[in-house]
Amino acid sequence: MANGALSRLPLAYVGQRLVLMLVTLWAVITLTFFLMHAVPGGPFVSEKMLAPEIEAALNAKYGLDEPIWRQYLNYLGSVITFDLGPSFKYPGMSVNEMIAEGLPVTAQTGLLAVLCVVALGVPLGVAAALNRNRWPDTAVMTIATIGAAIPSYVIATVCLYIFALRLGWVPAFGLDDWRGYFLPVFALSGFWLSFIARLTRSSLLETLDQDYMTTARAKGLKRRKILLKHGLRNSLIPVVTIMGPVIANLLTGSFVIEQIFALPGIGRHFVLSITNRDYTAIMGITIFYAAFLMLMIFIVDMLYVWLDPRIDYRRRA
Amino acid sequence: MTELLNVTGLTTSFHTSRGRVQAVRGVDLTVKPGEILGIVGESGSGKSVTCMSILRLLKRQGRIEGGSAVFDGRDLMELDEDALTDLRGNEIGVIFQDPMSSLNPTLTVGEQVIETVLRHRNIGRRAARARAVELFEMVRIPSAATRVDAYPHEFSGGMRQRVMIAIALACEPKLLIADEPTTALDVTIQRQILSLIKELQGRLGMAVILITHDLGVIAETADRVMVMYGGMVMEEAPVAEIFALPRHPYTRGLMASIPDPRTAGEGRLSPIPGTPPDMSDPPKGCPFAPRCPVAMRVCAEEMPRLYEAGGPANRSRCWLMDEAAPARAPYNTEDAA
Amino acid sequence: MTELTPTLAPLDDPRWALLEREDDAAEIIAAPVRTYWQDVRARLAQNKPAMAGLIFIILLVLAAIFGPMLSPHSYRAQNLSLANLPPILKTTEVGGAEERQLVFVNTGNLNLYGVDEGGHVTGLLPGGRKDMINRQTIWQVGGAEVVLDYSSLPPVLAQEGGPGLSPGPTKWNRTYLFGTDQLGRDVLVRQLYGARISLMVAFVATLVNFVIGVTYGGLSGYLGGKVDLVMMRIVEIISTIPLTLYVILMMVVLQSGLISVMLAIGTVFWVDMARIVRGQILTLKSQDYVAAARTMGAPTRWIMAKHLLPNTIGPILVTATMLIPSAIFIESFMSFIGLGVTPPQASWGTLTSDAVETLRRYPHQLFFPATAISLTMFAFNFLGDGLRDALDPRLRQ
Repeated sequence: MANGALSRLPLAYVGQRLVLMLVTLWAVITLTFFLMHAVPGGPFVSEKMLAPEIEAALNAKYGLDEPIWRQYLNYLGSVITFDLGPSFKYPGMSVNEMIAEGLPVTAQTGLLAVLCVVALGVPLGVAAALNRNRWPDTAVMTIATIGAAIPSYVIATVCLYIFALRLGWVPAFGLDDWRGYFLPVFALSGFWLSFIARLTRSSLLETLDQDYMTTARAKGLKRRKILLKHGLRNSLIPVVTIMGPVIANLLTGSFVIEQIFALPGIGRHFVLSITNRDYTAIMGITIFYAAFLMLMIFIVDMLYVWLDPRIDYRRRA
Repeated sequence: MTELLNVTGLTTSFHTSRGRVQAVRGVDLTVKPGEILGIVGESGSGKSVTCMSILRLLKRQGRIEGGSAVFDGRDLMELDEDALTDLRGNEIGVIFQDPMSSLNPTLTVGEQVIETVLRHRNIGRRAARARAVELFEMVRIPSAATRVDAYPHEFSGGMRQRVMIAIALACEPKLLIADEPTTALDVTIQRQILSLIKELQGRLGMAVILITHDLGVIAETADRVMVMYGGMVMEEAPVAEIFALPRHPYTRGLMASIPDPRTAGEGRLSPIPGTPPDMSDPPKGCPFAPRCPVAMRVCAEEMPRLYEAGGPANRSRCWLMDEAAPARAPYNTEDAA
Repeated sequence: MTELTPTLAPLDDPRWALLEREDDAAEIIAAPVRTYWQDVRARLAQNKPAMAGLIFIILLVLAAIFGPMLSPHSYRAQNLSLANLPPILKTTEVGGAEERQLVFVNTGNLNLYGVDEGGHVTGLLPGGRKDMINRQTIWQVGGAEVVLDYSSLPPVLAQEGGPGLSPGPTKWNRTYLFGTDQLGRDVLVRQLYGARISLMVAFVATLVNFVIGVTYGGLSGYLGGKVDLVMMRIVEIISTIPLTLYVILMMVVLQSGLISVMLAIGTVFWVDMARIVRGQILTLKSQDYVAAARTMGAPTRWIMAKHLLPNTIGPILVTATMLIPSAIFIESFMSFIGLGVTPPQASWGTLTSDAVETLRRYPHQLFFPATAISLTMFAFNFLGDGLRDALDPRLRQ
């Protein structure tokens, strides 16, 4: 189905989107920087004494005695070169190192959760739609309604108590054991799994009601072919569209999940930085997150062209 | 036994949250090979549901509750799913009202023709594609060879309807069901599409059921007319006769409500007063009785049967056709007005 | 037709008489006419989950407002000697020399409490003598000596000499209906107080979002042209930024606290609202009655207030209803990671977070905040769904 898709995605538009992304990123950096400097007393003034080597590093990095706009330009300069500066609280550790340390854990659980959302959410939604108002539909919708209403940290703690503490089936924390992935991934994906199941269901029901589905039947096509080629394909378009934000939200969800299951991911670093008021780390990780999420949304938007031939970015370029 | 399609006693209801809506109540109809049958009626009269029932293409809430539809020796109501799908799109083609929504927006128009051909003909993809181009040329889509790779949204409404016709005719069906094929189109396009259908019908020798609410379309295209109201056949006659002498007060009302250029300016259009009956609770007598200018007491009480009226091919569901009924010109008097 | 045709049937047969009818009989429309809002209300009233949600929310709001006033306990008064009591007391009957008494063993902190017949906790039993070597604590209960042996788990209560112990009745904790937390505060009152804070944050934040969103979207849509373009570009940029991160940053800057939470959530989630309002305004703007008002020289502000806003209220209402559970969720999320309200104030988030700390020993403490927040999310989701369905004109037939 790639016919003509690329032609509907002119370089000019990709460039335009990239520019918009950079502008947004700049806005994020600026906002983050000035927000952190608006903290009473400023980010670099601590109630505790700074370790001398950190102080030296900070001074070297930001020129703390320089005027704020100068500091801002310096920071912007270093972020552009992918250097998020030193940690404010941990001697000898840079924010880059912090992210690099946490990334594998966060990426693993996050990726598994995304897989879980898609591989379970879509089939459940399809099963519900095809059995509209019969028991599979009721069952899926009930679970999805529950899943969408219970906050992830509640799911996480309740599961932690039942499966780890009471039944002892899985470890309560850490990922040393493969079974350790179960609860974090489940808690992380719970809400979005429900969301995607509901979305798939309603989207497929709407598609099944379309006139072109009647046309497909009138052509004498087989039931399976009608469902897969005409029904599912079209009803998955909104599901794919929403995947960018879903990935984004899965990541922010990982803040608490990593906290509850004591996983050494970026989210845990982030929450720890917040508790420690490690301002440079907060700043750096926020910018990293924002950049990552914008990239995700960008990629999904670009892939959209292959899915829906009606999308033509030439008109928007 | 020359009929291609013989429908008897077809009854269809929709089960909605507000109860059972009796959309079609015992419809009989026949179509001979090569003939164009026009079905006319207001929206909600059951004309589309009748045709969708014949192909068992009803949407979710629709249930066929009785009747038979014998097509070419097979009762479509009794066929199993496989045999029925073998027949759909192959021996019976369908064109729908709204070409904007009847084509799948995410597949190329060519693919939508090709998949039909591949389904019913034992040929390769390349040959099917060639057939699609040939069909596009037949329905006069300009630069057919390149347009097959375009998507529906790149086509105008009229062009999309040509694509729909190409799909419907892909396997040279014996019967084409055209469900208000021109209603959603501009007036100028309507004429082109109609003459295309008529031309192809002549060329391929197929029978056509043409559903419309537009008597003008019927007059130009059909050989025989069936007027439906309240889920029932009200009148049936060859096209020339029905325009010369409409027997049923409803048909007469329909005709009075279309502008006639010959009498333009002489008087006002006379729309039929009132609204169509609520089919979840239809009147027990003639469904048209509440709006009929010559309704009698019996009309509100008892359902009239389809009387033979004026000729072997003419039928009318009206008490005035009863031999006991009083004469009421011009409805049941022999001489045309 | 100049000649009368002869009648075929006797005219006196009444069956063939013309049907008399009232003049407008044919014009009667079957369905009763209802206004749009009557329709909406009727449809909403038929939606059972939505109505259940609405009733739950009303009861919750009432409980949050008046509940703490009716309770003898205060949300902040600590009583460490009565910490971590469960809502259900499994008692043991101690038949002492003088009188028999019901006691309750808190296996979490190895304390012994007196319980009266009505289920009231009479207090920590005094005089517990701790024998660290044998891992025992010894009390004098009604003249008898009772020993709690915790050298092996679970701890065992035994009596040396005397008539012995027998399992007593299981009683509801009448003093603290939901039990107490780790600082000996009444869980029920803290629950209700938490509901107060959580709901307050949600309502205020939604209101702030609502005002910002409606103003921004309304202006953008109404003014149109270049202004609209620029304003929507800004919205586009904001919507790519992960907003949860910004609530977190705001909280870091503003420092924890009730007002900060309301401000942080209130100023961040108005983007959807702005988009919806703008879309509505754009559709409505093209409609004739607005053009008519404009032609007659009505001022912009007047047109907005009089014509545009009342007609955009449906989708706005749904969005607002859906914002409330999001706000509750975000607030509890913030509190959970330590960025919410400050102690001794409590919200459902802090209560959950506190309960997680004692999860191993007192899992029941998690039950109340987790249930409360989940039920509230259900209620608002159901109500929002119901409202959306009720307002959706596509369903109107």
